Amino acid sequence: MSDFAIEANQLVKKFPARPGTSNPSPLHPSPGGRGDGGEGDSEGSRKLKRRHWPFGRREPKAMFTAVNGVDLQIQRGEIFGLLGPNGAGKSTTIRMLCTLLEPTSGTARVNGFDIVKQANDVRRSLGTLLAGERSIYWKLSGRENLEYFAALYHIPQPIAKNRVEELIERMELKDRANELVEKYSTGMRQRVAVAKALLARPPILLLDEPTLGLDPQAARRLRELIAELKQEGHTILLTTHYMEEADLLSDRIGIIDSGKVIALDTPEGLKHRIEQKEVIRLEVTGWHDEIADKLKSISGIENLISRQEGEADLWEVNMQAHNSRAAIPRIVEHISGNGTRLVNMNIVKPSLEDVFIHLTGKALRD
Amino acid sequence: METSLSPRSLGQPGFLSDLRAFGAVLLREWRIFMRYPSWMIALFIWPLIFPMMYILTGRALSGPDGSGLEVFTQVTGATDFIGYIVIGTTVWMWQNIVLWDVGFSLRNEQMRGTLESNWLSPTWRFSYLLGHTGPQIISMLMFIGITALEFGLLFGVKLNGSVWMILLVMLAAIPAIYGLGFAFASLVITVKEANAFVFLIRGLVMIFCGITFPISLLPGWMQSFAMWLPPTYLIHGMRAAAFSNAGVTELLPDLIPLALFGVLWLILGYSAFLLMERRARRTGAIGQY
Ligand SMILES: Nc1ncnc2c1ncn2[C@@H]1O[C@H](COP(=O)(O)OP(=O)(O)OP(=O)(O)O)[C@@H](O)[C@H]1O
Ligand SMILES: [Mg+2]
Repeated sequence: MSDFAIEANQLVKKFPARPGTSNPSPLHPSPGGRGDGGEGDSEGSRKLKRRHWPFGRREPKAMFTAVNGVDLQIQRGEIFGLLGPNGAGKSTTIRMLCTLLEPTSGTARVNGFDIVKQANDVRRSLGTLLAGERSIYWKLSGRENLEYFAALYHIPQPIAKNRVEELIERMELKDRANELVEKYSTGMRQRVAVAKALLARPPILLLDEPTLGLDPQAARRLRELIAELKQEGHTILLTTHYMEEADLLSDRIGIIDSGKVIALDTPEGLKHRIEQKEVIRLEVTGWHDEIADKLKSISGIENLISRQEGEADLWEVNMQAHNSRAAIPRIVEHISGNGTRLVNMNIVKPSLEDVFIHLTGKALRD
Repeated sequence: METSLSPRSLGQPGFLSDLRAFGAVLLREWRIFMRYPSWMIALFIWPLIFPMMYILTGRALSGPDGSGLEVFTQVTGATDFIGYIVIGTTVWMWQNIVLWDVGFSLRNEQMRGTLESNWLSPTWRFSYLLGHTGPQIISMLMFIGITALEFGLLFGVKLNGSVWMILLVMLAAIPAIYGLGFAFASLVITVKEANAFVFLIRGLVMIFCGITFPISLLPGWMQSFAMWLPPTYLIHGMRAAAFSNAGVTELLPDLIPLALFGVLWLILGYSAFLLMERRARRTGAIGQY
């Protein structure tokens, strides 16, 4: 028996392709790759692809690979962060590990149990947070929800009773535990959902985007709780598309993009990969593609990413440089004139986001 | 503070645990059912409205002095045409409501997002579907009780038979009616849209099962087809028990087919559920909405 809490070998999940999917990017990986931030291109090719089947809901044989050969070895007691953009395959990976989905190929073990052959043992070993506030019954009270799920997890009655009270206390739901969940705030509902995952005191927790939709304060409290749960001995696999969150919480991080884990290391290790590089951050008005091409041609500059800040004509441009001192004069030279103006320039320490850009050539969030 | 967690959770597997989980599903459904008070109104109105349509038509056709009713009695053997119609329409409504309530039970949970939460637990999954029938059967009994009361008091419908025999026929029909509901619920998860199917089934019941007339009036091929629909036996048996004072022996020709169809539909319902479950694990259907 393996001694890992979670071990995945070449997990693959293919779905029957749905042309209507909101984010079919893994079908059409962004072309060009590194250094070209070609979001526009990939949009274009998506539309082209769709035009092949204007009618009919589903193209018969086409399969869509959501997870494409994921390997994981997560130690007991570790917090492992799976970080990736929308549609990267994070939730699909979690759904396979918690037995909701069967892998198309590959194997995985959770708490030593095979996710296909010993699915019920896997379910007993896990506390899973999926779909957040929608995962509990809004027409039941917080307490009724927890009592209900305690029974589903086969917790004997007297133990369940204590456990529910303990969690209500811990999640600061005491005052309103008997109110219907529909009257709760998003943060409270999320706390009930977290309590539900903790009910059976499972050794392993799978948390899919635990702080999604929470206000900053609620998100911070939940992160503190996650850190506490680790102290208590839980192994935690969490997914997120917030860099800071992964950085803050995780012992190790897997960066996932288009269904593949493209890097796996400690947060420090990941940042170390581009430590010899610097990140130059510009704020520019009157940005246009021609300038981007010019900047990219400067030697030692790579992974240029630009995004508009809000509605105004203000652009944030990030690029990675081997030697910023040498590059800066040339950058300034290229940006002057033609209605383009440099508003601000910084040299910053690489963040995990820059690591992501370095690896994929695209930004984590559009 | 604990520093290392036992690799076992607090859960204790076993038959009793599964039974208690099933009880929890029933309790959950009952609580939610009681928190949507709109069904109350439906419970009092529908038993009257739907049969009224047929009753008034019957009145009009029977002539100003009601002489046409004698012909009806000759054809049907029923002395009380209102009671005769009410039994037929009630069975039709029962099948209809089961298709909506049980048939869309999992689909509704899927859309709310709770289906996955249930699926994540180690509980026997059929409990989730089975659990939806508990409050449904209770509300249906209330529905039928209210129907009987309303027509007993307002229209003076009188029984010539035993209430227990009527209940026996209904009990025999439960597996067939709910088994179809189970199969349907699994179908709905898979295909998402299944209203057309409900319309088809209830249309079949309406035309073939004799809800307001004896099926002997139907052409031969339609009568043969009616023999494959459990509501045919349910309606026939309930009428015999209510108005011809039929005992168990007289009811056997209805009870036996009902029981057989019950076994058949429970098997079909459960198989459909297992198929749906397997397919959902491949396609992710449980989580989509
Ligand atoms: N049941 C399904 N059937 C078909 N396609 C699916 C299904 N579930 C997910 N997908 C597709 O697989 C891809 C990966 O989805 P997944 O939910 O795993 O992404 P994610 O990393 O969790 O993204 P997000 O940040 O948006 O939650 C997406 O393009 C999604 O549309
Ligand atoms: Mg997701």
